Amino acid sequence: MVGKHYRRLLEQCKIRMDRFEKEYPAPREDFQALLKERGVSRRDFLKWTSFMTAALMLPPIFKPMVTRAAENFSRLPVVWLHFAECTGCSEAFLRSSYPNVDDILLETISLEYHETIMAAAGDQAEKCLEDCIHHFPGKYVCVIEGAIPQGLNGQFMRLGPKGETGVQIGKKVTSKAAATICIGSCAIWGGIPSARPNPTDAVGVSKALGISTVNIAGCPPNTVNFTGTLLYFIMFGAMPPLDGQGRPIWAYGKRVHDFCERRPHYDAGEFVEQWGDEGARRGWCLYKVGCKGPYTFANCPHLRFNDHISWPVMAGHGCIGCTESGFWDTMAPYEKPIHEATFGGGERTVDKIGTVLTVATVAGVAAHGVLSAMRHGRTDKKDGTTTGAGKE
Amino acid sequence: MEAVVPKKHWTVAIRINHWAMAFAIFVLIGTGFLIAYPVTVPGGETWQKFSVGYIRFVHILFGMFLALLFLWRVYLAFFSTFRADWKDLLAFTNIPNTVQQIKFYLLIDKKGPPHTGLYGPMQSLAYLGLFGMVFLIVVTGIILMGAGYGAGFTALLYGILKPVERLMGGLAMVRYIHHVLTWGFVLFIVVHVYMAFWYDAVLKQGTLSSMVSGYMFEKGDH
Repeated sequence: MVGKHYRRLLEQCKIRMDRFEKEYPAPREDFQALLKERGVSRRDFLKWTSFMTAALMLPPIFKPMVTRAAENFSRLPVVWLHFAECTGCSEAFLRSSYPNVDDILLETISLEYHETIMAAAGDQAEKCLEDCIHHFPGKYVCVIEGAIPQGLNGQFMRLGPKGETGVQIGKKVTSKAAATICIGSCAIWGGIPSARPNPTDAVGVSKALGISTVNIAGCPPNTVNFTGTLLYFIMFGAMPPLDGQGRPIWAYGKRVHDFCERRPHYDAGEFVEQWGDEGARRGWCLYKVGCKGPYTFANCPHLRFNDHISWPVMAGHGCIGCTESGFWDTMAPYEKPIHEATFGGGERTVDKIGTVLTVATVAGVAAHGVLSAMRHGRTDKKDGTTTGAGKE
Repeated sequence: MEAVVPKKHWTVAIRINHWAMAFAIFVLIGTGFLIAYPVTVPGGETWQKFSVGYIRFVHILFGMFLALLFLWRVYLAFFSTFRADWKDLLAFTNIPNTVQQIKFYLLIDKKGPPHTGLYGPMQSLAYLGLFGMVFLIVVTGIILMGAGYGAGFTALLYGILKPVERLMGGLAMVRYIHHVLTWGFVLFIVVHVYMAFWYDAVLKQGTLSSMVSGYMFEKGDH
């Protein structure tokens, strides 16, 4: 049984795909032929379609649409900008043990401009970018990787032969884009470049340029979350519903802690107390060695990384909360629970301060009690009323 | 001998509310620290154990009690038929009285300011602070509860409070604020209990028993 809502959505999707095929340039490569060439069988591809449909939280009737969107994937012109970052997100998307459908999809993507992997250089590269903005205004998708430094009027970052600042390039490219997708923490809220003390005053793209963006959070994010979001855009002509941090709800709507394979050990009271102990060997909960899964929204437990082989908690280290804003500062320390964060570089945690304050308060009221007994007790005698404090 | 006149101070509603809230806060502090520092249960099979699950259940249950008790208390502050005490909670705005009260507490002066309202100036400040802390810890608690439970009334509340989570800087910060506030309650309990004993001893009006009987005893011709 499929709800009426989904049937209507499917109709909309079909109309959108027809229009997309008419309006956008022809695919650069025959996707099915490419899959065959790379050794991905039709069956593998259909399995991937089912997986992707489920990941996008759509019912199975959308599988043909996902297939169609995948075949049309290379029609979508994409401009990929790099700002203040480590290129780890691009690396995460490009490197894998063997080519799976996601990787092949990302290879077929019509990348008009990508500073790391494009063949063109210098003026040629600039021309690619300008051609794309000129030929596909309002159609291309701008993907941004990296934070934008605002210090020194943005001069901490100058790029290209014209020496434009990050803000200038960002404004130029995003103003004519159909949508702006931020890849990774840096582009979303500033990431590690903006961690305290943030010398370059780096901020996320949406704050620097004053635009709303679709945020594929993570450090690095999962490839599936990016391809899925692009597929959604091709299928429905709009970006998927977003949460308060601009992250697609289909990917970042659930908490890591609630879908973690170690969660039963949490509820059972089975914790890794220190690295390498019996609990660690038996795969118990990593909360006490600093897992930040309880505060982190992501689909890592479902999708995992590197062809769905593993993910941090499965490998034996707690989640560091990399999909959350400000994680570098708010999630620290990474190998201790969050309430063990220290103040002023010393050993002072909130619990140590609390204990000291409580002891001091108890001592304070005890002293106050003794002094009160002396002061109020003495005058009581003078007044000739009952002696001593506390006697009824 | 002067006549000692019993005078009603606290209604049944306030007294029940006070002790229920006190009990809930003690349970919540205990279970709260057990959640922050969970105890490893080494023996047995995983499926036979559910200790942290039960502790969290008790914590959330009493957290909801605290939320309801707080709403009840705020209602009483405005609409109590015996004495709506919201004005008394602003006693600290009388600055000369507040200064006099501090002198009294620091044992500089022998007499406190005239007792005009239900609470002294410092007392009103402490209770307002307590209400603020209860409100904040309930809000952060509902966010933490809602983050892991996406159905029914909880989901509705979480949907409303999601922007607050964003404002506080994510769930991690919400959790941290929740933890820090706990210490505020611990400190409040120490001072509150001491002050109750102190007033009982110094003014001899039956402060301690008043939260059970509802009556304070005042000398003279009131």
